[in-house]
Amino acid sequence: MFKELIEKKRYSFHESFATWQDAVRAACQPLLADKTIEAEYIDAIISKVTELGPYIVIAPNICIPHAQEGVGVNDTAVCFMKTEKSVHFSDNSEHDAKLFFVLASVDNAVHLENLCELSECLSDEEFVDKLLAVHSGEELKNLTCSMS
Amino acid sequence: MLKVIAACGSGMGSSQIIKMKLEKVFKKLGIEASIYHTNIGDAKSQAANYDVVVCSDSLIGTFANATAKKVIVIGLKNLLSEKEIEEKVLEKIVNAQ
Repeated sequence: MFKELIEKKRYSFHESFATWQDAVRAACQPLLADKTIEAEYIDAIISKVTELGPYIVIAPNICIPHAQEGVGVNDTAVCFMKTEKSVHFSDNSEHDAKLFFVLASVDNAVHLENLCELSECLSDEEFVDKLLAVHSGEELKNLTCSMS
Repeated sequence: MLKVIAACGSGMGSSQIIKMKLEKVFKKLGIEASIYHTNIGDAKSQAANYDVVVCSDSLIGTFANATAKKVIVIGLKNLLSEKEIEEKVLEKIVNAQ
């Protein structure tokens, strides 16, 4: 999964965003550009979070923007974004994120493999610390997770 | 056999991660369980038929009715922390019995 997102250049690095909506849109851009997703998928992610709250923030610093499969998704992929400053999803700092992993799925088996790898890698706090220190695709390439 | 629902907004991201983590924790603790993952709307309508609902902390308000019907609702701050999941399973399921 990490290998594929690096090969396909599905990553971006930013300083900060004024709103979480801007951050989610930016995080999705590489997938929009290579037609993995359509703009309506981004709208679906934003409207779900607006409706239900910041449930996509799954751990300190980490969020996984995604919506239901089917609408505006053409392929199964994971896309990475990192911001230098925390993006606030609510007034509670527990809902701050710097590491974004956008999920898109049309194939549940592949999607599950991606999720499994992602969840194992992100459960390794040392790996998360390394991710938080990365500033470029080049540096991302040199990172290794024991799972991938 | 414990019947568990893992829920998230869409049923395809966080809820599947919760399911993977729960399976590990249940295995470690020797708890037999079947875990179904789904979206929040479906989970809400089915919760009364299950023993336990596990979801992100930010979604627990949705399950107020289920709590009233004696369904155990567990909200997680960190979905990736097996430590947090284990502590909450012990507190709310194992030691509550």
